[in-house]
Formats: sequence, structure tokens, C-alpha cells
Amino acid sequence: MGDPILALMIGSAILVIFTFLFFPSKGFYFRWKKSKNISEKVLIEDALKYIYDCEYKNINCTVQSIAGNLEISSNNALDVVKSLQSHKLITSSERLINLTEHGRSYALKVIRIHRLWEKYLADETGVNPADWHDEAESKEHELTEERANELAVQMGNPIKDPHGDPIPNRKGEIPQFEDLHLNSLKANEIATITHIEDEPSSAYSQILALGLNPGMQIKVIQVSSEKIVFEAEGDEKVLAPVFASNISIRKIRKDEKIQENFRNLLSLSKNEKARVIGISRSCRGLQRRRLMDLGIVPGARVSIAIKSPSGNPTAYNIRGASIALRNDQASQIFIEGISQN
Amino acid sequence: MSRKNLLVEANALRWEIGDNLHDTIMESIYADASKIASRALIKNEEENSFVIDRVIDRLITSRWLGFPLMFLMLAIVFWITIVGANYPSGFLAWLLVDLGQPFLKETAMSIGFPAWLSGLIFDGAYLAMAWVIAVMLPPMAIFFPMFTLLEDFGYLPRVAFNLDNLFRKAGAHGKQALSMTMGFGCNAAGIISTRIIDSPRERLIAIITNNFSLCNGRWPTQILIATIFIGAAAPAHLAGLLSAGAVVFIALLGIVFSLLVSWGLSRSVLKGEASTFSLELPPYRPPRIMQTLYTSLIDRTIFVLWRAIVFAIPAGVVIWLTANIDIAGVSIAEHFISWSNPFGLLLGLNGVILLAYIIAIPANEIVIPTILMLTVLVTGMSGLGEGTGVMFELDSISDTSGILAAGGWTMLTGINLMLFSLLHNPCSTTIYTIYKETGSIKWTAVSTLLPVVMGVVVCFFVAQLWYLFS
Repeated sequence: MGDPILALMIGSAILVIFTFLFFPSKGFYFRWKKSKNISEKVLIEDALKYIYDCEYKNINCTVQSIAGNLEISSNNALDVVKSLQSHKLITSSERLINLTEHGRSYALKVIRIHRLWEKYLADETGVNPADWHDEAESKEHELTEERANELAVQMGNPIKDPHGDPIPNRKGEIPQFEDLHLNSLKANEIATITHIEDEPSSAYSQILALGLNPGMQIKVIQVSSEKIVFEAEGDEKVLAPVFASNISIRKIRKDEKIQENFRNLLSLSKNEKARVIGISRSCRGLQRRRLMDLGIVPGARVSIAIKSPSGNPTAYNIRGASIALRNDQASQIFIEGISQN
Repeated sequence: MSRKNLLVEANALRWEIGDNLHDTIMESIYADASKIASRALIKNEEENSFVIDRVIDRLITSRWLGFPLMFLMLAIVFWITIVGANYPSGFLAWLLVDLGQPFLKETAMSIGFPAWLSGLIFDGAYLAMAWVIAVMLPPMAIFFPMFTLLEDFGYLPRVAFNLDNLFRKAGAHGKQALSMTMGFGCNAAGIISTRIIDSPRERLIAIITNNFSLCNGRWPTQILIATIFIGAAAPAHLAGLLSAGAVVFIALLGIVFSLLVSWGLSRSVLKGEASTFSLELPPYRPPRIMQTLYTSLIDRTIFVLWRAIVFAIPAGVVIWLTANIDIAGVSIAEHFISWSNPFGLLLGLNGVILLAYIIAIPANEIVIPTILMLTVLVTGMSGLGEGTGVMFELDSISDTSGILAAGGWTMLTGINLMLFSLLHNPCSTTIYTIYKETGSIKWTAVSTLLPVVMGVVVCFFVAQLWYLFS
């Protein structure tokens, strides 16, 4: 039979080792698999993307800055630059590196796949927003152009990724937008968020925590050198100017509707009747389509049918049917009261 | 304007229109449609049936009465199933096994079948099939129609509504309560019933965890083993209560495991799958009894039974062959048992149980008959059973207990068999159904292997702790 204490110890040890090895995504095995994937192709594509980004932002690009961005040694970066040159993807004179026409279109292809994949993750999967960028970073090197084009068609040829960045089209064309930053707004100005920068991730997670999304209308309440206070979908938000510069906005056009009433469905009381006026921008993709399929679109009348024992979910009368929604969904649906008569 | 210019213009406009085009179009279509409808339609909002619906709803989703009513309803359904299935099961077993099998064997013998062939066909294939039909058909033919009637009436969506809060916390969908309950009848049917969950992630969770619902092929095993090992250890007047309690405990443990595993899956491997919630509460309506009987018999009972039979026949052949093919004078079964016995003991089980669970993959119903046959084979007891490789069951519980005691079973073996019967791979019918429903080898493998691994781990720790403290 053996010694039970010894057996128990061995058994526990095996369990612990297995957890270490195969813990989902953080386990040793998965990390090892990921690290194996860094090949020359990946380095070249990442370098091209970085050089393109420098051009876009008018920054000088050097071997040192490439090494810093790709987190490799300067010697390795030099190898990458040499190989880029031999493929006629870049020209380098003095210490300045510039993309060739060929190199630019290659870079845009990689960017197209990256942004398409982010859009796919946002709309068709439940992947956490904070993980979109990293997943797309590895997927952009794997997906073929044909597959990316199929994906684009499947999603209705989207023009922007979930952060609001334009997705280059098949020919590698990309429009130039002249957007303002959030910190350029003054009090009482109303604008629409067009883009949220997803790097660095520490700043992005701050913005994510506020529940901001491209397409949302915001109204600035107060601006000072320490903070910007503004209203988005009925809630007051506060951001430091450093973070606010990561949010691009577009001032509202004259003919645009300004949504002022932000009561959500969760605040509906029993025996009260209301009308749907919209669904929050933070509800996207499959979830948004499902709500619309159920008839939750502007103009639909809602009232509470029954509350479950715990109050979550609650069933609502919508278009003659009783439909149960969870509280987090109800909080994304905006309503306005109807006077009783 | 030339075609080329038009395209360029259109492309430029596309960037300008922005990302919400699809939403805007859909919203305006709905808005127009409802405007037209509201002009043309006269609605009587407070209809009579609607009011009655709300009264029933208030009762069965009420804070105090909701849950007791639900448990009462389920208890009644299970009670009718278990009690009601006894008689037709007994009859079928008598007809197919006690009468049919000897008759077929004799007929075969008289027309000159060689002994090995009649053994292979009638002791192996036929017997496995007969067993599966006798044990599986009656409970399914009772349970499924009752379940479908409750569904048809509109009660089951309210159960999902009541329980959603609990399942939401586990990262699952309230409707999983229904597929789980269906799993108590049959896991294959339970997995088919997950089609009602329209969110991809929650549906996968429901499929993977369905096996933690003790199906009707496993209830008899649980009841028999609990009576022999738990009931016998208790004072006589408490024996019945205690063994019933043990079975209920195992079933509840299954529910706990299914919620825990749902929680773990939704936060690890399935984190990235798409998820959305919606649950429609249909109006109550009188169930259409005849139609329900017909569809639940055809769709669920016959369908599942047919798959089970298809898998049981080859299993019967394999079971008979392992006991009848000899290598160096000893049957394959005995070779495997003596080889795997040390590992079995490490888990508080034994080689016979491990072999039985491997060759009886097609149906949990034939695990106990296989165990009895193998135990008799290994211990070399004479005068018991029906011959080498022939599965059997005994009417008397004390005789069964005697065979198991001779096979070296202890209370620990009994407890761990009950645990392992809850936590092992689904039967082959279920595995095949999972593959059909998910269309993915990966998820089929996960749902097959996850419970076995859990079973091995749980049994190992229970056994070693038992050895430590006894």
C-alpha cells in the first residue's frame, strides 16, 4: 500500500507542478510557446510598424529607438535594419531611417491586420478590452492577407478599430484625420470621442476603467491644470490632463443631436412606463445586436414585467413579450419616462 | 460622373459617415415599422390571460415560494420517474435477459452455431444491448415527456429566470439549470438541450459541465453501492435514510462541481468566447399532451436510445472477448486487472473497477453487471454468474455484497466508486453527442478528460487520507 503521507505529498506536488505548467495563459507551457514564436519575420514586421509610426508622428527614427521599441539589443536592431535594407523596405542615410514605397505598403498591411483583428475581438468575442492589443500584436504576424480580407468582408468592411483608429483599406490607403485632444476643450463644450490611444497600457487601463468608448458624447464641465471634469453618458468623469491627451475628440456638428437625458433601464420603477432612447456605446458587437434583435431600439416602450427573487435578472415587457435582462445589460439601455395618461 | 470618380467619392463618404451606420439604419427601420404599426393596430393591453399570467408569475418567482415550489416540482418528477420506471424496467429485464437470452442461445445451439459465436453474439453483443434497453428506456420514456410538458406549459423558463442569479455568479447562463436537470435524465439529452442557450460561451460551459449531473444510468449504481456499503455500516433503522442521504449528497456534490467548474472555465479557457444574455418568458399555455408525448418520445427517447444501442453492441462484444481470449492461459481481462490493480488501490478502487469503466464506456448501465462478472472471473468463485464473459446482476443485495466482499471491497472502495461514478468520462453516446453539438475535437476532449482527471485526483486524495486515518 505504501506510506499514505508520502503518497499525499507526491500527489500534492504533482498537482502543484501541473498548475504551474498549464495554468491558462500564465502557465509555463503557454509562456514558452509564446516566446518560441518570436521569429525574424515578427521582428521585421514590428520594426516596419514602428518606423511607420515615427513617420506618422514626425519623429526621427534611429537604430537605437528601434532597439528600445522592440525590446532587443542594439546589435540585434542593427541586424534587423540591415535585413530591412536588403529587402528594399527602408532607406537609411546618415542616421535617419525612412520607409520605401514598398516598405510603407507592407507596414500598412500589418497595421490593417492588427486593427481588423482588434475589431474582430471587440465585436465577435468576449476578450477583455485590455487584452485586445496584445492578442492583435501576435495575430498580425500569423494571419494571411486573404484571411484578413475575408474577415473584413464578414464584419461589413469596418472602417475603424475599437479604439477609433482608421483601418487601412485593401490598397493600403488611410485617411488623415485632424482630431483635437480632449484637453483642448473648454468648459461647456460638447464633443464626440473619436479615438482612444491604447498605448501605453497603464494609461489605457485608466481610461477603460472610466468606461469611455469611441462614439460617446461628452460635455466638459470644468478644466484646470490638474484635472479635466466632464460628463459622459450621464456620469461625471475626472481625468488628469496627461491621460486626457490620449483621447481624441471631434467637436459636435450643428446638425447633430445632443443627447441629454441619461436615465438607464435599471432605474425604472414598478408600474412605470418608459421609452427606449438608445443603447450605450460601451455595448458593442454581438451583445448590441442581440439587444436590437429583441426590439430594444429607440421608440420601443418598456415596463417591468416581473422581478426575479434576487432582482437580477428582471423581466421587461418589450413589444408584447416578456424578456429577462441582467442588470448590467439594463444599465446600458437609456430610457425616458412617459407621462401616464 | 464616371464610374471611377463615383467609387472614389463613395469611398471618401464612407470614412465620413462613421462607424455607426449599421446601427443607425437598423434603428430607423424599426422606428418606421413601429410608427406604421401603431397607426394601423388597435391593442388591448390588459388582456385577461395576461393578468392570469402575471398572477402565476408572481407566485412562482416570489422570494419565499419560488424556490420551495421548484424543489417540490423537481422532487415529484424524480419520484414518479424512479418509482414508475421500476415496473417496466423489471418487465423488460425479465423479457429480454431472463427469457430472451437463454431462448436465443438455445435456438442458436440447436441450429448448430459454434459455442464461441453464440457466446460472442448472445452473451456479448445481445446482452449489452438488452441491458441498455431495459435500464435506460423506461426512465427516459417517463422523465422526458414530463420535462417537456413543464417546458411546454412555460414553467421551465421561469426556473431559469429564478436561478439565473446563481448561475451568473458562476459565469454561466440561467438556462444551464434546465440542461443540468435534463442531464439527470440523460447527459446526451442534456447536451442536446443546451441548444436553448444562444450565447456561445455559456453554451460551451453548459456542455462541458453537463456530465456532473448524475444520469439515470448512474443512479442505480449509486443506490446499490450506498445500500451495500453505507447502509450496512449504519444501525438498521437508519440504514435506508443514510444510504438515500449518501446518494443525494453525491448528486448535490455533482451540482457543486458543475458550478465550480463553470466558474473556473468562464474565467480561464473560455474567457475569450463571446457571451450575451437574453431569456424570453413565454406566456403560459395549456400543454399539448399528445404532441408532447410524440415529440419527446421520438426526439429524445428513441434518438438517445438508438445511439446507446449502436454503441452498446460493440461494447458487449469487447467485454465478452476480453474475458474469453486467453494469453498464456490467462484471459486478457485478468492480465489487465492484475497489472492495473496497484494503481486502482492507490485511488481506493481496484483493477476490476478500472477495467469495467474502460470497457463499459458505451453505457453506465452495464458498469455494475461488468464489475460483477469480472469479480467472479478474477476470484474464481464457482456457482455464481452465468459463465465467462457474461454480464449479470443479482436480485439479492446481500448476494451482490458477498461477491464484492470476496473481491476485496471495503467501505473505501464503495465510497470511491460512488465518487468515481460521478466524476469520470461521459459515456460514448454523450461524447459523440458533444462532438456533434460543438463540432470541435478540442472541446470534446476537454469535456471527456476533465471529469476523469478530477475523478482520479479526488479519489486519490480521499483514499490516501482514508489510509492515513484508519
